[in-house]
Amino acid sequence: MATLIAIDPFNRIEGDLRIEIEVEDNTVISAKSSGIMFRGFERIMSGRSPMDALVITPRICGICSGSHGVAASKALAQAQSAEMPENAYYMKNLILGIEVVMSHLSHFYLLFAPDLTNPRYKNLSVYETVNQRFTAMKGSSVVMALNARQSALEIMGLVGGKWPNSLAIQPTGTTSTMNLSTLTRTIGILKEFQDFLEKRFLGCPLNEWLDIDSFDKFLKWQEKSAHSGSDIVLLLSMCLAAGFDRIGKGPNRYMSYGAYDLPDGSTWLPSGFFETRLHSLDQALIKEHIGSSFFRDAVEARHPLEGVTAPLADKSGAYSWAKAPRYDGKTVEVGPLARMIIADDPLLTDMVQQMDSSVMTRMFARLREMCRLTKEMSLWLEKINPAEPFYASPSSRFSSTGIGLTEAARGSLGHWMKISSNLIENYQVVTPSAWNMSPRDEGGQPGPVEQALTGVYVAEPKDPVEVNHIIRSFDPCMSCTVH
Amino acid sequence: MHNLLWLQGASCGGDTISFLNSEQPSALSSFEVLNINVLWHPFLSREQGDDVVKIFENILAGKTKLDLLILEGAIPHGPDNTGKFFMFHGRPFREWLADFCKHAEMVIAVGTCAAFGGVVTGHENVNEMSGLQFLHNQKGGLLGSDFVSKNGLPVVNVPGCPSHPDWIVETITAVLKGWLHMEDLDDFHRPTVFFSKLAHHGCPRNEYYEFKASAVRYSQQGCLFEFLGCKGTLCESDCNERLWLGRTGSCTRGGFPCIACTSPLFPDKQRPYFSTRKIGDVPVTLPLDVPKAWFVGISGMSKLACPERLKKNAVSFKWIT
Repeated sequence: MATLIAIDPFNRIEGDLRIEIEVEDNTVISAKSSGIMFRGFERIMSGRSPMDALVITPRICGICSGSHGVAASKALAQAQSAEMPENAYYMKNLILGIEVVMSHLSHFYLLFAPDLTNPRYKNLSVYETVNQRFTAMKGSSVVMALNARQSALEIMGLVGGKWPNSLAIQPTGTTSTMNLSTLTRTIGILKEFQDFLEKRFLGCPLNEWLDIDSFDKFLKWQEKSAHSGSDIVLLLSMCLAAGFDRIGKGPNRYMSYGAYDLPDGSTWLPSGFFETRLHSLDQALIKEHIGSSFFRDAVEARHPLEGVTAPLADKSGAYSWAKAPRYDGKTVEVGPLARMIIADDPLLTDMVQQMDSSVMTRMFARLREMCRLTKEMSLWLEKINPAEPFYASPSSRFSSTGIGLTEAARGSLGHWMKISSNLIENYQVVTPSAWNMSPRDEGGQPGPVEQALTGVYVAEPKDPVEVNHIIRSFDPCMSCTVH
Repeated sequence: MHNLLWLQGASCGGDTISFLNSEQPSALSSFEVLNINVLWHPFLSREQGDDVVKIFENILAGKTKLDLLILEGAIPHGPDNTGKFFMFHGRPFREWLADFCKHAEMVIAVGTCAAFGGVVTGHENVNEMSGLQFLHNQKGGLLGSDFVSKNGLPVVNVPGCPSHPDWIVETITAVLKGWLHMEDLDDFHRPTVFFSKLAHHGCPRNEYYEFKASAVRYSQQGCLFEFLGCKGTLCESDCNERLWLGRTGSCTRGGFPCIACTSPLFPDKQRPYFSTRKIGDVPVTLPLDVPKAWFVGISGMSKLACPERLKKNAVSFKWIT
């Protein structure tokens, strides 16, 4: 006999989510992921000046406003054929990078780790330490991480002025500049943040962990007593003891738009579509489906440039306010794991070969990216030259389309803009969690998280902690999803 | 011990993020020093699903005292005033919220959305959203203009997109200590202690403003009022005195214009955001309280008196000696 279990609200994520699972003999046989709110940002955009996108779209999401700013600025830059001075590349990368680092840090300590204190794990040897460090809102590491986050915030203040919702990010550069003082101070603050990572999180110099290029070496490294007290070792022990390497398998197809633009036209993290091997990405293959979504349209699936947002709350068979984006008709996983695989990170590539996409690989990909970004940001800071400009004069003329693609903390973020008579005619946003948390498409194909939940063994259906881990390993942002 | 319930309506979560940006006290230690017991917070609490519903039911049954209700995010009324744009555990969110407000000793709306409707009311409120007790500058909202919570105060509005963490923590402090009275709120129910100053106060570009030495494009050091859309002389907030993010920044310090995000009329009435609308040489929207004739006269005089030092730096991205 199958039982239906709803987790509603499913919180300790960003935004509002309802999860429904059907359980038979302690095994999830189907799952539904529902975005339970409509906010209507795409309708707000229509008829406005294109530049308004910089003000309105960051407000889609309080945790990744900078990523929306970057996507909007890139869409505008394309529509204006705008170019930026070299400094602006590094400034924008710093804003995006700091936002992503803070998001990953908050995700681990505030959102994911509290589930590790579930009484289910009380027989594990690390349980006492896990509780002492990761109890929601009170654990010692939680408090230390939030303090370390303050350093990151100060960098954001110096580079972006205000956050969330900085307007420093513009199509032709940044409104903010750096001088000798702000640059020196920023370098100092980033070092403080790195100190937290090295002392509490890793238990070793940043480069020592970043140099680890296989899972085998990672296991050998953690046996050294010097690292035994670090949070990452604690997570590793928990993952292996609780079997996080075996739950949460996604579609094994990954996508990244690429991010952190560099002056030579390349990106620090590459773009691509990965299915068995890496393919180049073609955004024309993206379509948003609405078969199970509360939207009305004559057509079941459209490319975002032709997208339509017409809410229909009483649509029969629909269960989510999220549309269902598909790449070439297929579900794909986006986020740090996708980025690390497409960037060919040696440690994560090796881990995925051994244990597939899973709660464990997803968590370590996110934390790997946090560390890699911290290192990269210090290199970008060295490239900024306060004597050179940060901003170029914009053109006030817009061509008819602008597409802005970037990577937010949670994955691929795209803005598609159609312009006529210098006003926005249509604006469509496809967010990372729309990819991961999407409902079924018109072919009945479940979204990545729905798929990852199916087949999972839940020891106690009344407290399905396995489900919590799987969903939170994707770090859903439902605010973005139901924009 | 004060019981706190924090809810999110049509929200981006940005006010929670801003609250987490709090420094002294930090967000987590503010609960401790203010003796706050968090009944539930959607981003921070361990409880989920049915456990949350139990917490809710206990409040509505009067079994758990609700000392403080905080809302961030607007209230969805659509489509066609059904509330179905946000069904929370099978029931329109606005109905849960109206019930909680009846039980709450004190109610605080954090952020411009919860206070006045905010960004999601853009495009003539096509999405049918409102604040708790206001829609834009009109009283009403979800609760109606006559609503007062059990402590006798209307909803205390702490706008900002996002709200400054100090405004949030200090308002909670004042409310819990019983220091906040009707006379401490302005016409839009905002604590005057934060919202009677202007974002202009403390702006590092003030000398440029005095002499009308204006930046002509972004990243330059001059005043952003004359050409680049800055609403700092109209926006009621103390951003540039208080500063953001570890006291490191503000909008104008980041080189971009204030867009008056604490205003009940945000986001539609502040447009254009990035340029200043003018008739002839005179901006259509003048600084708050300044008579137009005097402004025009003073501006002309100050431009003539402008030192060379300011003229050249106003249009430079770096300091020229």
